[in-house]
Amino acid sequence: MSESGEIVVKTENLTKRYGEFCALDSLSIHVKRGEILGFIGPNGAGKTTTIKILVGLSRPTSGTASIAGVDCSQEASKIKHLVGYMPDKFGSYDNMRVREYLDFFGAVFGIPARDRKKRIEEVMEITYSAYMQDKFVESLSHGMQQRVGIARTLLHDPEVMILDEPANGLDPKARIEMREILLRLAAEGRTLIVTSHILPELARICDTVAIITGGKLRAFGELDDVMRDLCPMRNYEIQLGQDGDIDAAAERLRGCVEGDVSISRQERTLRFPTSETEESLASVLTHMVSGNVQIVQFREVASDLEDAFLQVAAGADKTA
Amino acid sequence: MINNPILGRELLGRLRSGKTLAAIVVLAVASSMLVLLRWPSGGTIDIISRGSVQVFRPLAYALTLAVMMLVPAFPATSIVTERRRGTLGLLLNSPTTPLKIYLGKLVSNVALSLLLISVAIPALAACLAMGGVSVVDQIGPLLIVLCAMALQYSALGLWISIRSTSSDSALRVCYAAVLALAVLTLGPLIVLGGLPGIPSMLAQWIAAISPLSALQQITGDQGLATLLGISTGWIHFVVASLLVTLVLATLTVRKLDPILLDRARPVGKVRDKTAKQSFLRRISYLVDPNKRKGGIPRWLNPIMVKEFRTRKFGRLHWLIRLVFGCAIVSLLLTVVVASGTIDWGVDRIAGPMVLMQVALLLLVGPSLGANLIAAEVESGGWQILRVTPISSWRILTGKLASVFWTMLLILLATLPGYAVMSFIQPAMSGQVGNVLISLFVSVLVVISISACVSAFCRSTPTATASSYGVLLALFAGTLLVWLARGKPFGPVFVERVLMFNPAAAALSEMNTPGFEQYNLTPSAWWAGVAISAIAITVFGIRIWRMTRPD
Repeated sequence: MSESGEIVVKTENLTKRYGEFCALDSLSIHVKRGEILGFIGPNGAGKTTTIKILVGLSRPTSGTASIAGVDCSQEASKIKHLVGYMPDKFGSYDNMRVREYLDFFGAVFGIPARDRKKRIEEVMEITYSAYMQDKFVESLSHGMQQRVGIARTLLHDPEVMILDEPANGLDPKARIEMREILLRLAAEGRTLIVTSHILPELARICDTVAIITGGKLRAFGELDDVMRDLCPMRNYEIQLGQDGDIDAAAERLRGCVEGDVSISRQERTLRFPTSETEESLASVLTHMVSGNVQIVQFREVASDLEDAFLQVAAGADKTA
Repeated sequence: MINNPILGRELLGRLRSGKTLAAIVVLAVASSMLVLLRWPSGGTIDIISRGSVQVFRPLAYALTLAVMMLVPAFPATSIVTERRRGTLGLLLNSPTTPLKIYLGKLVSNVALSLLLISVAIPALAACLAMGGVSVVDQIGPLLIVLCAMALQYSALGLWISIRSTSSDSALRVCYAAVLALAVLTLGPLIVLGGLPGIPSMLAQWIAAISPLSALQQITGDQGLATLLGISTGWIHFVVASLLVTLVLATLTVRKLDPILLDRARPVGKVRDKTAKQSFLRRISYLVDPNKRKGGIPRWLNPIMVKEFRTRKFGRLHWLIRLVFGCAIVSLLLTVVVASGTIDWGVDRIAGPMVLMQVALLLLVGPSLGANLIAAEVESGGWQILRVTPISSWRILTGKLASVFWTMLLILLATLPGYAVMSFIQPAMSGQVGNVLISLFVSVLVVISISACVSAFCRSTPTATASSYGVLLALFAGTLLVWLARGKPFGPVFVERVLMFNPAAAALSEMNTPGFEQYNLTPSAWWAGVAISAIAITVFGIRIWRMTRPD
């Protein structure tokens, strides 16, 4: 999704302290133009603190944060034009229709009335929300509100969009629609920072991920690299045919692999972690087949972002 | 009843809250201060005990005001808050019956109200000790009336709460209803009081719902009772109050049903209409409420437009109705003025008119002003506004303008009465002008203080209740000092206190009985403007700070 190498969002040793409590500890990350950064962490990890500094709502205790070369704390007014921020709370107003709601925020951003009308049409088209333009915002479903929230964020055509939990509470259909919208925005060249607790969802759209716990950056980089770093052991599974002794097969497998072999009798499947090369695994397969083990499938079980996150969280718990 | 889980939770929860403690302390200090100021310090003793009556009177009015202010606030937000949080559904789906839920809420609030009232018993006992006040004629009836008020207003609050969609609107409506029960119930007596037979009796019973008639009898201050021809007393009030409570309780329990939660979302569809339909709608409403609104023009402050659009009654068609409604009410009052001038005189009716107008400003102003910032913070809109480039100055001016124009419209719509007064007595034109300036200053004070309070609150109900509290302390509190004029407060002190109440300036301009000796203009205007300036400055600084990075 990333097409250019230009760094748009950059934080260096970003630190935020509230008295004795350190909410953010020397965070250094960067996001390139057109990239989607998945910002992951448990509750209270420091995600919102980072976001608040990036959008100019909070000042760092030390370190710097910049967007498109503009310092987030020194030039907060410029940042407001560069960033579109969608907080986790929608920010509804009573008795206001969607179009009026967007018109209000367009006016607040100083978009002239003539251009504003056209821009509202555009953002409603991008977010598939044109059909709800006359509905009252407080009566919208959560999924609808999220789409209107993104439309509002897009009004002033920001370079960077920061979305706090955009998929939270959405049903599967709405989640798919949200994913499509985010990918479309990235394809237009916008840089996106997205936080979410729904990690498989993030894994589908992110180029890079930053995992943060206790205010510290635990992992940062391209999704594949982070996965490789955090989950060096790959998991394999061998599904056996209906005939044959599963215990004997497991015994034969233990003879040629290092890790623990687990047995799922119901699924007639053997599972094992390994750091072996592809060639070594090929010889494992040969070894099993030569022992008359009836194999239906021999495949790698892809580790997902959840595994990586749990790995980091477990490490953070140990160091805490 | 003791085993009622709702009662236990509500009572304990509120007993543990700081707000309850604050209310108890404020009431205890205020009632004690009144007595301490009057307690004989020298060797002379007031043989005829007029002094203790003069203490008892403001104390009785202060306690009544406290019950009117404090009692309905909690029940008014109780059910609507539970519904918004989703806990009402849990309660209604439990084996607890609606009656038990209702009684739990009602009894807990009444019990707390009794606790509040009991705080003033030592002060009342001190009045008794000073002499001139008896348990049978004054203190006992007063306590019974206060308890009846607590019961009535708790039932009223719960009834309004079950019919409201948001806690701040529930508070607004509840205070309006309390005011209506106290003041508007006297209206039929003005119109029908002179007629013989059933209409007059009916008007007397409706007037009995107001605690004013009961208080007049208890305190021996029969001015208003004589003026309006009220013949009912505190016993009538207690009976009327119990009847009102019974009706409200029945209505609330009947509505306390799971179906209450089954409400459709407003569709909010703008329908395409034919030219004829559109024309008819314009004739009916002057503006078409279903027409899709155009963009906010560059010359208008978007914050102000947003404030108007987000108010239920802020849309143009509602504003037109509101202004016309006020004008009609004002003209009706004018009819009363015109028909009553032979008996009462214009200067006599002017006082109640000013009070009614100030009451209207006090009712509408805080509910609008208190929403300005607190509602924005509560809805999450403030955080979004903070990331927009709009300046704190535009937020300040937009927010204030939205309330100012509404209040000004209401004020202007209630002016025909004064126009007629000036017509009847042309010599009063100057006074009427001064009254209008005083009312304008009142508007400024109401707006600035409620906006200022709003900026320090995180929830709308808190902001609304606090605004009402502060403004009533200013407008009604100073009148309590006036009630205790002579003893313990001297004329100079009373005049200085009244200087902070622009409504008192209006009353003195109209030579309302009791206010003739005070010369409050223009000093009260300057005081009002100074209070507004300070409040707006604090409001501005607060907004500026809230828009800065943390």
